Amino acid sequence: MNAPPIIQTRSLAKTYLIGDVRVAALEDVTLAVAEGRFMAVTGASGSGKSTLLNLLGGLDTPSAGTIEVDGALVSAMNREALARYRRFGAGMIFQSFNLVPARTALENVELPLVFSNVDKKERKRRAAELLEKVGLAHRANHRPSQLSGGEQQRVAVARALANGPRLLLADEPTGNLDSRTSREIVGLLAELNRGRRLTVVMVSHEESLVREYAHDVVRLRDGRIVGTESRA
Amino acid sequence: MRFTDAVEFALASLRKRRLRTLLTASGVMIGIGALVSMISFGKGMQKNVTEAFKASDLFTTLMVMPGGADVPSRDPARPRRPAETAGRAGAVLDDAAVDEISQIPGVRTAYPDVSFPALIALEGEEEFRLVQVVPAAVAASNAVRVGWGRAYASDDEEGVVVSRSLARRLGTDEPAAAVGKTLRITSVSIDLGELASLDLAGLFSGKGLPVAREVYDFPIVGVTEITAFGGGPSPVQNDVIIPPGTARRIKRLPITSIWDLFRLRDGRLGYSAASVKLGSLRDLEPVKSRVSEMGFTTFALADQFDEITKAFYFMDMILAAVGMIAIVVAALGIVNTMVMSILERFREIGVMKAVGAGDGDIRRIFFFESGTIGLLGGAAGCVLGWAVSLVINRVVNFYMARQGMPDIDYFAFPFWIFLGAVGFSLLVSLVSGIYPARRAARVDPVIALRHD
Repeated sequence: MNAPPIIQTRSLAKTYLIGDVRVAALEDVTLAVAEGRFMAVTGASGSGKSTLLNLLGGLDTPSAGTIEVDGALVSAMNREALARYRRFGAGMIFQSFNLVPARTALENVELPLVFSNVDKKERKRRAAELLEKVGLAHRANHRPSQLSGGEQQRVAVARALANGPRLLLADEPTGNLDSRTSREIVGLLAELNRGRRLTVVMVSHEESLVREYAHDVVRLRDGRIVGTESRA
Repeated sequence: MRFTDAVEFALASLRKRRLRTLLTASGVMIGIGALVSMISFGKGMQKNVTEAFKASDLFTTLMVMPGGADVPSRDPARPRRPAETAGRAGAVLDDAAVDEISQIPGVRTAYPDVSFPALIALEGEEEFRLVQVVPAAVAASNAVRVGWGRAYASDDEEGVVVSRSLARRLGTDEPAAAVGKTLRITSVSIDLGELASLDLAGLFSGKGLPVAREVYDFPIVGVTEITAFGGGPSPVQNDVIIPPGTARRIKRLPITSIWDLFRLRDGRLGYSAASVKLGSLRDLEPVKSRVSEMGFTTFALADQFDEITKAFYFMDMILAAVGMIAIVVAALGIVNTMVMSILERFREIGVMKAVGAGDGDIRRIFFFESGTIGLLGGAAGCVLGWAVSLVINRVVNFYMARQGMPDIDYFAFPFWIFLGAVGFSLLVSLVSGIYPARRAARVDPVIALRHD
């Protein structure tokens, strides 16, 4: 851990108001992720893993504390700046893939490029290249419903990388996949992490995969960090 | 996000929900169609009336009335228009005065408005009508539209012109057949011989007035067309017109109503009005001031035309207001469709935001969607409005033809109606899109992505 941290959170907290009751989803989370690392966040369901990832991905805003990514103070960004951050700063993948059902694999990968004003020809070229990288060039014109779970998640990975972010956030990416496919997907993330110096933060509760691929592991319970482990 | 991409996104999502897009656009189509046909009807009416006015030479006609006469006015609070020159009381509009007016530069002809009641008979059918005395020069002008036969050639020709509707009422359906037939005019006059021996007691005890009937036969030389809207307020309005020289030989009462007797001055009975034909509209003001210097009241329809135009604006507004009801309903339809669309695409909006779509991008996509619905509906509405007007026009003309009325275009379609309709439709759809677009932009991606 001698590289400078690309992610630095300080006393991060998120509380939700459910009815009249304040529920703390995340409390006092101070965390650093060095560039080029593969970090896993584990914990029981309801421990605040997804909340943490949504905050890191700029989808949600913290109730207290700060998030700094690559020198930029994400926690202080307005809506428009957050949109730009999601576009260029951090790619996200999800347990339920979240592809647009009406669009083909290629068009799904193109989507982030549409919002970054890349022209159509260049968009197609880059999207095709990314699909090839995740091994799906032959499925480019299929719709999500015609793809297997593993294939859909590969499309999602390609989409997350479309604008060339330095950070990839994965929210239980294997939750809807069988164990063999899960291994393939996490293997793909590890490969991208090695090959492109892409920093990966993955939420997962599959201990075997976490042990096998992650450099750092952060354990959460009831919204607090209860343990961190690192291997070199 | 680029403009072309936003258009593509909007079209793709409209295509995906084809039926709903079609139904929503149909709502807009009906609204715009109603508006287009309403406005084109207003414009058609205005065009017809304006053209009728122009064709009947009304703009170059000046009405002259004796001093102190009431000038017709649209304003009941001011029966007399102060802007018009009300003549001084005492000026008598007699032959000498009419003659003098006709000498004013710019005046083509001046003739008194003379008409008298008579019993008109054609091959046994008879009716009471006013017979109007019209000089040959006027009868040959646009003020009288002779459709069959001809106008009488001189002021002394023994011949009359009748209207087509009179010919029809008197049993001659084919107007051409009426030309050449003999019209019998029976006039009434006071029997002067009997008047001398009459005592008042006798007059009021029911003996009746000492009237004499005179019978004259004239050939019908021409039949006038029935013009749309009665040809506008034409100076020649009666069903039988006769040249002045010929009329002079008819023995008749010099009055058409008792009111004429009140105008007796110094024993002279002037005319109730005279019509002055001008060479052009430019002569109107100078002639008007000369005539009022002579002590007469003048009235020019050209002056009234501004008010008629104003009345048409008012009519347009009422018609547009009726059309607007359908537009408002259509706009609500767009809002409904777009809000439904947000609910259906809740997750998709979340995904777009997660991969970097800004609020502006989402707004733009929804805005373009409702705009496209507006454009589609607007264009279709123009076609619908035009088609409906065409059908109505056909049907109305079919029934009017049975009444002997000529074909008229009741609807007018200047190109700006279509441009305006499409533009307005686009505007309405964009306004309808404001709320849904803002709402879509406000979707919280965390909630949207959790949503199933």
